Amino acid sequence: MHLLGQTLISGFLLGGMYALIAIGMTLIMGVMKIVNLAHGALVMVGMYVTYICFVLWHINPYAGMFISMLLLFVLGSLIQRYMINRLVEVDSILPENQVLLTVGISLVLTEVIRFIFKSDYLSVSTGFSGKTVFLGKMSVSVPMTIGFVIAMVFTYLLHLFLNRTDLGMTIRATAQDRDAAVYMGVNVSRVTMITFGLGSAFAAAGGSLLLPMFYLWPDIGHLFTAKAFIITILGGMGSTAGALLGGLTLGIAESLGATYISMGYKDVVGLVVFLLVLLFMPGGIKSLVKR
Amino acid sequence: MKKVLINITVAIVAILLPLVFRAPYHQHILITILIWAALGTAWNLLGGYAGQVSFGHAAFFGLGAYTAGILALHYNISPWWGLLLGPLVSTLISIPVGLICFRLRGPYFALAMLALGEIFRLVFINWVTFTNGAKGIMIIPKITMKLPYYYMALGLFFLSLTITGLLIKSRFGYYFISIREDQDAAESLGIPTTRYKLFAFLPSAFITGLTGAFYMNYIAFIDPNVVFSLANVSVMIILVVMLGGVATLWGPAVGAAIYILLSEVFRTRMGAASVLAFGILVCLVIMFLPNGIVGELDGLRKMALRKMNGGEKSGLLRG
Amino acid sequence: MKKISSIVLAVILVFTVMLTGGCGNSSKSSAAGEVKIGVILPLTGSEAMFGTMEKNSFQLAYDELKAAGKTSVGGKEIKLMFEDDQSKQDVAKSAAEKLINQDKVAMLSGGYSSSCTKVIAGSAQTMGVPFLVVTGSADDITKQGWQWVFRGAAAPASKYTEALWDMMDKVIKPKTAAIIYENTDFGTSSAKAFRTACQKKGINIVFDQSYESGAIDFKPMLANMGKSNPDIVFAVSYVMDAAMIVKQMKELNLNTKLFIGGGAGYTMPEFKENAGNASDYVASTTLWIPNVKWPGAKDYFTKYKEKYNKEPDYHGAQAYATMYVIADAMQRAKELTPAGIQKSLKETDLMTIMGPIKFEDWDGYTNQDKPNTYVVQWLKGNLQVIWPQDVSTAKYVFPVPKWNER
Repeated sequence: MHLLGQTLISGFLLGGMYALIAIGMTLIMGVMKIVNLAHGALVMVGMYVTYICFVLWHINPYAGMFISMLLLFVLGSLIQRYMINRLVEVDSILPENQVLLTVGISLVLTEVIRFIFKSDYLSVSTGFSGKTVFLGKMSVSVPMTIGFVIAMVFTYLLHLFLNRTDLGMTIRATAQDRDAAVYMGVNVSRVTMITFGLGSAFAAAGGSLLLPMFYLWPDIGHLFTAKAFIITILGGMGSTAGALLGGLTLGIAESLGATYISMGYKDVVGLVVFLLVLLFMPGGIKSLVKR
Repeated sequence: MKKVLINITVAIVAILLPLVFRAPYHQHILITILIWAALGTAWNLLGGYAGQVSFGHAAFFGLGAYTAGILALHYNISPWWGLLLGPLVSTLISIPVGLICFRLRGPYFALAMLALGEIFRLVFINWVTFTNGAKGIMIIPKITMKLPYYYMALGLFFLSLTITGLLIKSRFGYYFISIREDQDAAESLGIPTTRYKLFAFLPSAFITGLTGAFYMNYIAFIDPNVVFSLANVSVMIILVVMLGGVATLWGPAVGAAIYILLSEVFRTRMGAASVLAFGILVCLVIMFLPNGIVGELDGLRKMALRKMNGGEKSGLLRG
Repeated sequence: MKKISSIVLAVILVFTVMLTGGCGNSSKSSAAGEVKIGVILPLTGSEAMFGTMEKNSFQLAYDELKAAGKTSVGGKEIKLMFEDDQSKQDVAKSAAEKLINQDKVAMLSGGYSSSCTKVIAGSAQTMGVPFLVVTGSADDITKQGWQWVFRGAAAPASKYTEALWDMMDKVIKPKTAAIIYENTDFGTSSAKAFRTACQKKGINIVFDQSYESGAIDFKPMLANMGKSNPDIVFAVSYVMDAAMIVKQMKELNLNTKLFIGGGAGYTMPEFKENAGNASDYVASTTLWIPNVKWPGAKDYFTKYKEKYNKEPDYHGAQAYATMYVIADAMQRAKELTPAGIQKSLKETDLMTIMGPIKFEDWDGYTNQDKPNTYVVQWLKGNLQVIWPQDVSTAKYVFPVPKWNER
């Protein structure tokens, strides 16, 4: 019994942090309808920024996270403005060539980081990195819980932003119908720029929260890209609540898979859940939540 | 007539090429180019013409390669039989995959294929008793000369080109393009879209599987992380096609040649910065040549023709 | 449309001529007073960290040899040519063939990942050029009966645990064991060898699972393993997974009498750095550590650290020793052709920082050195040899104290 509890706790906490990374992607995919394979690389860059803050200026990763978010917001906006936006305006046979551009971007980001930091493994250890609290026989990791709580706060703030502010509503309007938004006088290229910036900032936040308990190297991005995709589809594009539920679902599904099937097949479980949702619930969890 | 002549010239050049480049290293590069050209052309049929962008072609490549490998591993049958069985297995698997995934459109289809490709990779890694897991399968090749491999790869590419060429010139081609441009409109005109997507998918999977089986015989070693790789197979196929030209017959071949040559030159000349330089190049090509090199060339040529026609008219007027 | 495309194709083919031809010319011109050795390592991509360490170590050894005047053979200067395999096997094949045909190297070395090593070995064997493996550890690399493939500084994966079994019989005497391993070639081979040995000795395997490298959360698997309550845990992991696993064992308060790593991740400086005090008392099998008794080992470690400002691990030592083996074989070779070098490699009997290296045929292996393996343990932040006893640098701690008693 305590094995089940341990599995669920692990999956739940991890899922919360997955969700934060995925929220960035769901925003970008929802508004721009593009598949962004550079998302993981942005997470990675965000983690490096937080790492530098920690090593050079001894800034606690939870504070460094904000610097990292700011920088990534700028980086994301620039990438959108000067690279991806070009393609939106050009007439091409397959809109999917944007995907390839994001592959190129992720290659460049990864290699630039590798150029500076080499392929060495880096990690940040704070005083509470390995701290745990025991609930009965189940261990609960302190940094994971902190990460989970912060992720929840961010998600809620983003939800408020999207629903209560003018800018947020403009973003949602663009996501729902781009052409209509243009007719209503929305400056779509500005909105997409901000969206990409926000998405990148959340990617950085998610990465930074993982930093105290995980490690860092230039190729770490791939891991997150795949997870963020699965969650985005699970939750439904463009939905914060969906991404949150999607993240938790994936986290728990993976943990259960690892415990009761095999750690080697853990990712298969996630992917199968993903395919099933894709096929039988095309709107994602969002379609259930909305009503 | 001119067209035929040029085609014959290209064919003769291709046949004579390895006789000019005798060094096995050069021949190896030529073979690699042909492998990617065949893969790209096959992908282009489904992705470029029918508009179904698959991020999971590694699944069919890997299935072809593993069919050949497993024949050798478990049944002690020459992996060359994989050239027959590999594509069949890939095609068979592609039927249910297609029927399931064609319910989805656009990015959703792309992602479903991506997930499928990854599932195949993970299953082949973990199913150790059947696939030998991450240890992979190593064979000792009977043929050590490069020349036979070159001509086989050339045949492979030719087959890929012919199948694609014939299909797109037939009625099927128009259906494919109509599905790509507007699936709903195509459906309302009475085109059974799922069936026609399958008609693009099956040959595409067939060639990809065949190329996989050939790859196994040529490289003589495979493991799941290599042949089912998302980054090094699935995405690379797309990269080759987009570089050369989406929905053009020769585009993938041009893309493959440029891709392989450049990455080889970068690798040997630039050391650690090579991947970086390559990434920058990919970004630039897609930003400035969004339809690929051949695709943009066609556009440029048409523009030039229009201008020329305009020029002739004005000349006439003056005269 | 077709016309222009075929012209483009033709142009590109001509381009091929120029580009590849260009590569050839540049290297042929300088061939006179040199004997070239091709070294293929992952210098970019995900394994670049190890590839770079090995390249640095090659260079370090080369510089030492040069200072001692051992890099010129019969008036010809030994020249190292490094090629990047990007951890991709078709690139490794390109690199091997380029070195052999284009640069006309006298022999090949390198090979980090097992998959790339296999491909390079295949090319070397078919083209008749000696290939001395640095790291690639899959058993079957030297089990093909390939006369041109040599493995000196690296052990076959299934032999990494030789010293451990001696210690098992005499000290540990476990009744039950758990195995966790990454699902790579190295991981599965090591686990298989361990499993077979356990069955032979009547040790009950109560938990046996593989995982995909790069996970954030190992707790579900570890908690499951804890339920079976094994005497010892044998784990084969990549460096950062290793740190994650021991850290999370500590978080779960999971106690065993001894945690044994199967080489790879558990002996590296990064492991200690990242796992922190969770690394205490973790034991591991290994091929080399800096304070091993072989002459020059400690020297190499300090020199490397001084020059590159980073601690090397056994991968670097493998490359360093390999360079010495190569130079030695070159000196003894009657003629500097592939065949001549093959012959002289076969007659190698050299003391290196990895111990004596000889290429022998045994147990189905060809040209395979009989490896020296050790059991090491992290004690007060330092890696100490605890077995075999005659070379140990510290007394082993067994059984290890429970997490809450430390």
